[in-house]
Amino acid sequence: MNPDYSLLIPEYILAVWAALVVAVDVMMPKLRRDVPAYLAALGALAAGIASVLYIDVNKGFEAIPGVTIMHVDDYTTYMRVLLCGIAVFILLMSAQFVRMRLSHAGEYSAIVLVATLGGMLMVEGTELITSWIALELLSFCFYTLVSFARRELRSNEAGLKYMLLGAFSTALFLYGLSLIYGVTGTTTYDGIAAALSNRGEDLTLALVVGFVFIIAGLGFKVAAVPFHMYTPDAYQGAPLPITAMLSTTSKAAAFALFFRLFTTAFLPAHEEWKWMIALIAAVTMMWGNLVALQQTNLRRLFAYSSIGQVGFMLIAVAAATQDAGSSLLFHMAGYAVTNLAAFTIIVVFFNREGSDEIADLAGLAERQPFLALAMVTALFSLAGMPLFAGFFTKFMLFVSGWDAGLEWLSGVAVVASLISLYYYLMVIRQMYVIAPRVPGRFRTPALLWGVIAVLVVGVFFLGIWPAPLLDAADTAAAFLFRA
Amino acid sequence: MIPMEHVLILGAALFAIGMYGVLARRNAVLILLSVELMLNAVNLNLIAFNVYLRPNPATGMVFSVFVIVIAAAEAGLALAIILRLFRNRRTANVDEADLLKW
Amino acid sequence: MIGVEHAWIIPAIPLGSFIILALLHNVLPRKGDWLGVLAILTSFALVWFVVADAFTNYPDHLPGRESLEWIEAGRFRVDLGIHVDEVAIVMLIVVTTVALMVNIYSTGYMQERHGLTAEEQRRLLPATAAAHGGHGDTHGDAGHVESSGHHETASAVPEPRYGWFFAVLSLFAFAMLTLVLADNLLLMFAAWELVGVCSFFLIGFYWERRSAAEAAKKAFITTRIGDVGMLIGIIMLWKATGTFHIQTVLHAAETGQIGHTYLVISALFLLMGPIGKSAQVPLHVWLPDAMEGPTPVSALIHAATMVVAGVYLVARMLPLFEAADLLRVILTMGMITAVFASIVALAQTDLKKVIAYSTLSNLGIMMVALGAGSVTAAMFHLMTHAFFKACLFLGAGSVIHATHTQEMGPLGGLWKKMPITGTTFIIAALANAGIIPLAGFWSKDEILHSIDSHAGVVWFVIALVWVVLSGMYTARLVGYTFLGKPRDQHIYSHAHESPFAMTLPLIILGALSIVAGFPILHEVGNSLGLPGGISEFLLTPGEHAEEFHFNVGLATAGTLSALLGMFITGFLMASPGRMARFTAAIPGPYNLVKNKFYFDEMYQWLIDRVILVVAYGVAWFDRHVVNDTGVDGFSSLLNYTGFRLKFAQTGKIPNYALAIVIGVLTLAVIAFSTNS
Repeated sequence: MNPDYSLLIPEYILAVWAALVVAVDVMMPKLRRDVPAYLAALGALAAGIASVLYIDVNKGFEAIPGVTIMHVDDYTTYMRVLLCGIAVFILLMSAQFVRMRLSHAGEYSAIVLVATLGGMLMVEGTELITSWIALELLSFCFYTLVSFARRELRSNEAGLKYMLLGAFSTALFLYGLSLIYGVTGTTTYDGIAAALSNRGEDLTLALVVGFVFIIAGLGFKVAAVPFHMYTPDAYQGAPLPITAMLSTTSKAAAFALFFRLFTTAFLPAHEEWKWMIALIAAVTMMWGNLVALQQTNLRRLFAYSSIGQVGFMLIAVAAATQDAGSSLLFHMAGYAVTNLAAFTIIVVFFNREGSDEIADLAGLAERQPFLALAMVTALFSLAGMPLFAGFFTKFMLFVSGWDAGLEWLSGVAVVASLISLYYYLMVIRQMYVIAPRVPGRFRTPALLWGVIAVLVVGVFFLGIWPAPLLDAADTAAAFLFRA
Repeated sequence: MIPMEHVLILGAALFAIGMYGVLARRNAVLILLSVELMLNAVNLNLIAFNVYLRPNPATGMVFSVFVIVIAAAEAGLALAIILRLFRNRRTANVDEADLLKW
Repeated sequence: MIGVEHAWIIPAIPLGSFIILALLHNVLPRKGDWLGVLAILTSFALVWFVVADAFTNYPDHLPGRESLEWIEAGRFRVDLGIHVDEVAIVMLIVVTTVALMVNIYSTGYMQERHGLTAEEQRRLLPATAAAHGGHGDTHGDAGHVESSGHHETASAVPEPRYGWFFAVLSLFAFAMLTLVLADNLLLMFAAWELVGVCSFFLIGFYWERRSAAEAAKKAFITTRIGDVGMLIGIIMLWKATGTFHIQTVLHAAETGQIGHTYLVISALFLLMGPIGKSAQVPLHVWLPDAMEGPTPVSALIHAATMVVAGVYLVARMLPLFEAADLLRVILTMGMITAVFASIVALAQTDLKKVIAYSTLSNLGIMMVALGAGSVTAAMFHLMTHAFFKACLFLGAGSVIHATHTQEMGPLGGLWKKMPITGTTFIIAALANAGIIPLAGFWSKDEILHSIDSHAGVVWFVIALVWVVLSGMYTARLVGYTFLGKPRDQHIYSHAHESPFAMTLPLIILGALSIVAGFPILHEVGNSLGLPGGISEFLLTPGEHAEEFHFNVGLATAGTLSALLGMFITGFLMASPGRMARFTAAIPGPYNLVKNKFYFDEMYQWLIDRVILVVAYGVAWFDRHVVNDTGVDGFSSLLNYTGFRLKFAQTGKIPNYALAIVIGVLTLAVIAFSTNS
């Protein structure tokens, strides 16, 4: 049977659109530098719409007969839509930023699209080589984007760290894959699962070493402790919208890959890796949230906060049940909306003030009440307050962990999320209590005002009426557990 | 024929040497080269498993070809970033790139 | 006709009002305060329809239920559901009544902001800064800034966030009413957190004032500590029963479907929520600080409604705590809180702080009643307490409005100047002390009765001591503020009665402080349609019906204790200097009490010395050990030679790589050691 090429239309759209954006940029040198971003946003929107058409499609992409390298199902569709949605918002918040601070606007937007494409392929991959290449595609785009501000030392340094450590972690990841291949003799997820359920006991150690390396590699991508060290630096050095993208696209795609790999291919060996991920999850959430208490830079704060969130999401991977899957997907969406809102606010502030220090937020409530209030919404959501998106998404994660026999981990998570409240409140305090350093009110540009408003409404929507999204996430996760 | 274990041990040794290089070297290019060593260890593993355990299909071979290709791309990208570092700071020593910390 | 199952409309109306006010308060005439009042008035009226329906063919219509699927995923299912039973109805009446009074009161009280320092004024109103600038500067130089006890406070300015205040009040009403009606633990928890958020906003309402912002943060975090435990308890109960529905959970607990140890642990976790929210020792520290909020907020949230949510939750879930054998724990905890708080109240000099500690003490005694197994007594006291305590707070607000100070030191003799405030305040204070025939007497009597019959004589004696203490601080409160001679003529001469919008709620609440206790009597109860009085009405299913008897011995003991307390204080205050000599004679205990038993200092020490040190330690570890020092040993191990150590120390990227390697090795080592 020939591969069904029609399964990949969203990917084609992104690839062609990316080329188009570069072409437009090259051919019209006089173009204002925020236009390519808007253009690319349209492309991401188109790809997202095309993805929606695949609802309830359940088909494999067979490169050669019998070898399904990609699979389009509701899980794929959910993540595709999420990733395209993230890309739209990233590009919208990038436009003014790129215009003011970066060169090569066309390439920038095109690479954002390609990164999204890489993320989508990561989600779809059901074969180790494919998934890994997709992972590399995403990573390469990020290496480039993080060091995109070529003349800025920080951006350059962040790119260097991310790149070298990324290459290192890729090597670890590949070594793990090679061991798994050695044990099972195949690279397709289904084949691996079949081989693992019939394995002999003597192979356990090779398998465990393989898992350790794979977890290290993926742990690096999702920024789990102790593989997280690059994260704060990359977050601080990257161009601001790319920081937002690192914390959303990169994380969502890596987790989608992580979860699919471990629940379809490695599930028969669940006992072997469950404790590893649970352990990492516990360390990650405590470490991230505790170190966040000491941060003075907003981006580093969000880096550590996102590390804490990774700890929460790892609960779902460790639990590896359908409920855990739906709560992971659900949390990803809620987290993406919240984080995008927070970062759009930071972008607006940064565009105007050129600062991302927490201390410079002082008196934001007086200078721009809308931004301050929106930020409070985002922070409350991240802290997991009811009526904000973060409450249900986190709650479902904890519950699914508890249900899967990881009571202690859920307990740690509840405590960690209490700690997080403290540093979020410090930011709120800065905005509301401390007198402004620089006087004068300012306005939020209309477009970004709208973007923030939409995201804030999204945060409340998910917090008050989570049922529709949760249903979607549940249907999506169910596809991984049909067998 | 050489037993498979020998190839695997060679691979593991190569991997360890590469890992040592990453930890011990300070020059960005050398770190990159050490990573290449680790990737080649992976290739050895893949080919050994392929040849000794499952000669057909040649999945391991295909995998290693991809690893080589991607490694080349990675080297290109990394060198571009290192070049940028060199232009900005006149050094390729990663220890001196420590603006971002804590 | 609106029946009990339509009770969800009651919270829905304030929600609508919140949305409109939050978006449009700057556009609406009078910044929309009328909308807030109107919304809560409508809810208030609707409550009576619900009550009427509940009484038609009583008790056929109860409990009223209505639910709507909210979330469903796998085994996980939550409904948006309401459960209207007798206890909920009493809460509905209390919440809407007090909320309505406070809304009306606020239209007067919140017009202006008092006691601003020059700095606050400048930040609040940049436009008028020039006009007041010189005035403010002299203040700063003279060092009078923020001396709230001083009569030279900066002039009042119009409240800039007047509309926002009413918006949050509406939001609070919505959240609180949802909490009352919720039929499942998760919805209740959501509402529980939302009232916490409202409380956070309102305590920090004067956020320019650093102490207010700090108090808001403290309240939020302290109650959240309790909520963390509560959330764990809820998850545990869900895991055991597969549902969040309160009645189902209770049923499972009563019929022993949950293992006893598991039940005890989950109930203890669940209890942490009420401990935080109802400010029981040791999580009580936030409540006195919460008085930084505007006074109407203190009355509504920190006296009458939100803080009793914990009591309400325990009352709702009492069968569960009973099955877990935790009643004694609740009893002890409540008694400690009650006695502790009333002792502290004796030495406070801030008008609002005295009332705050009195609230704490009353919350404690409600818990005691629950610990004695009597939902009736607890809920009845909750109701009467809500009225007289709201009246006390609003009266205090009226005093602050008139005198611009809330220190009791310079006050005195205000009754003559403020007859309405004074009279209602004194009535409410006497009700608080439990003087017959005011509301507080009946509910205290009921609590004493339940302690007497279920807890034993030791507890009863302690409860009597508590009554004495209540009498003492009440007398001191009234004596310093309204009676005696004015101690500061300047303040006294400027004092005036508050406007009608403020005195009307005082009059109504004062009247309620008199009559709210009467429904306990059979005759009154009968005429109101409550056969057997309110105590019969408030019985939860399974509780033994105990007819209310007017027990002369008990009533006499209670009243005499209260009078004794008041007499002691009266004696000490009767001649000037006697009080001072008395406190000087016992400096040790006095300072202990005056400093609230040093609880705040202890927590501050804990936070400074333990939590921040741990956080700092981890950050330090991240910076130094992982980045620099730790690399030493490990990289020398890898290098076999020591001289490369210095490279490792200064290196950054390799250190990061090392962290990855350490992670891998740790996992591998654990895996190998557990496998072999």
